[in-house]
Amino acid sequence: MNKVQSKGSGRPGTFLLGLGRYGGLGIFAFLFVFPFYYVFVLATHRVPFANPPHLFFGPSVAENFDALFRQIPFLQSFGNSLGIAVLATASVIFFCTLGGFAFAKYDFKGKEALLVFVVMTMAIPPFLNIIPFFRMMVAFGWYQTWLPLIVPGMANAFGIFLMKQFLEESIPGELMDAARIDGLNEFQLLPAVVFPLAKPGIAILGTLTFVGSWNNFLGALVMLPDPRNSTLPVSLSSLFVRSDGNYGGLMLGTALSILPLVVIFIFFSKKIIANLAAGAVKG
Amino acid sequence: MTKINLLSDKRLAPYVFISPFFILFLVFGLYPIGFSIYLSLWRWTMRGPVEFMGISNYVNLLTSDPFFWRAITNTLWLLVFGSFTQHFVAIPLAIGLNDKVLKGKEFFKTAFFVPYITSTVSATLIFSQLFDNNFGWINYLVNFFGGENISWFTAEWPAKVMIATLINWRFIGWNTIIYLAGLQSIPDTLYEAAYIDGATKWQTHTRITVPLLMPIIFFGVTMSIIGGMQLFDEPYVLMGGYQTMGGIANTGLTSAYYLMFTGWSATRFGKASAIAWILFFFILLMTMVNRKITKSLDKRSL
Amino acid sequence: MKRILVFLLVLGAALATLVSCGQQAGAAGDSIAAYDPAQSYTVSIGLYGDLEAAYKEVFASADFKAKFPNITIEYQTSDFGGHHNRLTTVLAANEATNDIEALEVGYIAQFVAGGGLSNLAAAPFNGVSVGSGLVSFAMANATTTEGALVAMPVDIAPAVMFYREDLVRAAGVDPREIENARNWDDILAISERLKAAGQIAFPHPNDVAMVPLSGGKGGWFVNNQPLEPKAKFMGALELVKEIRDRGVDADYGAWSGPWVEGFANGDVALMVNGAWFGGALRTWMAPDITDWRITYLPGKAPAALGGTYLGIPEQVPADKKAVAWEIIKYLTTSENAQLTVFRTIDAYPALVSTYTNPVMNENVPYFGNKPVRQIFADVAQSMPNEQVSEYDATALAIWGNAVTGVITGELGVEEAYNEARSQIIATIQ
Repeated sequence: MNKVQSKGSGRPGTFLLGLGRYGGLGIFAFLFVFPFYYVFVLATHRVPFANPPHLFFGPSVAENFDALFRQIPFLQSFGNSLGIAVLATASVIFFCTLGGFAFAKYDFKGKEALLVFVVMTMAIPPFLNIIPFFRMMVAFGWYQTWLPLIVPGMANAFGIFLMKQFLEESIPGELMDAARIDGLNEFQLLPAVVFPLAKPGIAILGTLTFVGSWNNFLGALVMLPDPRNSTLPVSLSSLFVRSDGNYGGLMLGTALSILPLVVIFIFFSKKIIANLAAGAVKG
Repeated sequence: MTKINLLSDKRLAPYVFISPFFILFLVFGLYPIGFSIYLSLWRWTMRGPVEFMGISNYVNLLTSDPFFWRAITNTLWLLVFGSFTQHFVAIPLAIGLNDKVLKGKEFFKTAFFVPYITSTVSATLIFSQLFDNNFGWINYLVNFFGGENISWFTAEWPAKVMIATLINWRFIGWNTIIYLAGLQSIPDTLYEAAYIDGATKWQTHTRITVPLLMPIIFFGVTMSIIGGMQLFDEPYVLMGGYQTMGGIANTGLTSAYYLMFTGWSATRFGKASAIAWILFFFILLMTMVNRKITKSLDKRSL
Repeated sequence: MKRILVFLLVLGAALATLVSCGQQAGAAGDSIAAYDPAQSYTVSIGLYGDLEAAYKEVFASADFKAKFPNITIEYQTSDFGGHHNRLTTVLAANEATNDIEALEVGYIAQFVAGGGLSNLAAAPFNGVSVGSGLVSFAMANATTTEGALVAMPVDIAPAVMFYREDLVRAAGVDPREIENARNWDDILAISERLKAAGQIAFPHPNDVAMVPLSGGKGGWFVNNQPLEPKAKFMGALELVKEIRDRGVDADYGAWSGPWVEGFANGDVALMVNGAWFGGALRTWMAPDITDWRITYLPGKAPAALGGTYLGIPEQVPADKKAVAWEIIKYLTTSENAQLTVFRTIDAYPALVSTYTNPVMNENVPYFGNKPVRQIFADVAQSMPNEQVSEYDATALAIWGNAVTGVITGELGVEEAYNEARSQIIATIQ
């Protein structure tokens, strides 16, 4: 009865609602995408400062490419950034899913206190830590290596907390029990049950970790200042020179450095959608 | 043999699963924390420890420092209007996106996430053009609707609004995709059952979506508190960095901005550490309040 | 919850004790081996902005290669902010990652209380006598009250008045009036005549705010009292207030599109800045304009708006310190290096003997075919030797907000001065 009624009277309303929704989403999309478009516009001009501001693509792409590749080892830095980000993301996904899973799905002594402790560590402002951390890295012999940018964050509080919140709902206890009855031990549960069901959370965690690692500036600058093994943001920063006005290369470099993040986002986000369509998520 | 027992023991397994965090914390986290506590008890400059202060750094900050409370107030204001507001936009956006028949979902999702990945430098370049006092597009709109030019960078409240706008813009998408992922783990059957029971769309959201999203909302709000209380990049870049301490009337001076200024520009590392630890207790307090509230609404959150 | 906190605090305190034992095992006391020309060295140098381009030219020159065939240079360049943040982090951690580090003059104050950088006045460097040929205000800026020298000046930025001859003439102002202006009142009067002719004078009052303070690189404290003498600082606030009140500035934010374009499109006719700005005008901001001219600030007032220093971190290994010092000596005291840097990036030499070099007397085609480089030399040599203190960064930042308050009319001059003064005193206590 209700169903029929809502269908009958709803048609024009639904249409308007849909239109409104697309309109609303569209406005937000425009507000959010425009600055992104603008970075690419600036990448095609020699000088970004203009009045009125540049709105359309300019003629200086080749020139900017030339400046960019002449002044910094772009491909090398790109490769370093990619290597660090991939290793960091893979290890974070593994260790944080593990930790989140334990907090979400097991009862163990001291669980609550330990979890509070994990979350609490996030509340410590990280700004000053870099000074003692740097001393430590030099003492470890890790200065000028990728390790300080990967290892300490492998199992981080943010990731564990995020995965815990997601896994709470996504992994049914009955499924775990069924798997145990089938003879799987706790570790075998991971590939069989946990990782497949954790995909939406993993996709988010992977995206955020990758972006964070890719955009990390001060850490990379302090630990890896040498242009031959530094990351893209660090290399690009050497182009930020006011006296010579060579901003075209900088803007092009910025635009090129954002692109992989979009690709990564779409890659991870496809995983979520595929997962959803296959009905693999609980339901 | 014992090893296999360890692996399959249901009581031991969770400790093994969470051990990486604690090992890494012991190795990498503890020394910096200890160092920073020690630092906060000293007058500590580029020369290293100069004079033992005891808790004077803390006392001075809380009682006589001309900027500390101003920075805390600014931070709280920006937390409410820059960080908390995000959730009121992000949840509806996520609900709007969480629809199997919606066309262009991928495009919208990517679009909302894009500000987060745009680098701070370009985001700032864009915002300084948008909000330029004379030629900015925002003031063009203000004029169009009959208003007077607003001095976004040099007037106290407009500057705050601008910073809050930038924060919202950068992180709404971040929250949206987290909520979206959360929504996607809510079973469709629940909604179908509610429809059959005659619930309206609004009712399904208030009765199903929001309650089931509680763990994620708790997560999002907690991260907003932590991120908001440690807000630094956006006001720093927009308000002129270490040259100005947050612009007119210190309007953009957040606690983290003041901390960084004290450490990296004034090279008072002891005092900066003291700011960090006071900030830590503020964040702790607010996170606990948040936890209490969420817990009273939902049993499963932490 | 409470138990964890207690646990954390106890652990932290225990660690802190541990930390304190390991502190301050400096390399400062080690004896420094003499530089050995027969040995080959690799020297790493941390730079910002366009310095790498300039120093690369220097190290590629025949003169350098003949003198130091045994030295290879490695560079670590970042942007201005990044470089100094990295440097502060590394030095605060009591480490050293490069043998030589560049510092902008504004960051020198961080080190004048000592720590982090080697004292170059001490043996075996004897920087004071090595630097006797360098312009004295720049040496004074890097000297602590105890006489330690934390870095050597390599380039300076004497401030001058830039003006557009065509625009000024079009408003009925004879350029000689600008050149002969005795004080800021004269310039303000000229600005009003420009305004009457529909011409904007300055891009923003902020562009001249530091001029009455000789550029603000030092001189913030006299006998530990901030912002003294009062009249000097009040004068600076009154100047920006006058500029804004008389409506002779365009209110263009620095490095915004309109600001940058204003130097080419005829929006602005006057500007105050350092020598390097002339290079930026000529090469990219207004390359097609033939009417930019350079003259003294009103009353030939001296001011400097920037400059680069080179220092050696304390923790650099002893054998590297000697060769690092050779490089610094070459960059600061050889005419070849100083003039190469000037030619490459328009950074004005700190070495006084270059001022009589024929290059410095050449007519500069871009600036009306006049020997403008002599003006910079004059300004540099008349700069007062200001005292730098470890609190300068704090004073500067607080002062910056006071200036903004006066420009926007939120604060009166007296009120802004008093507030800034009490804030500085309370912050540095």
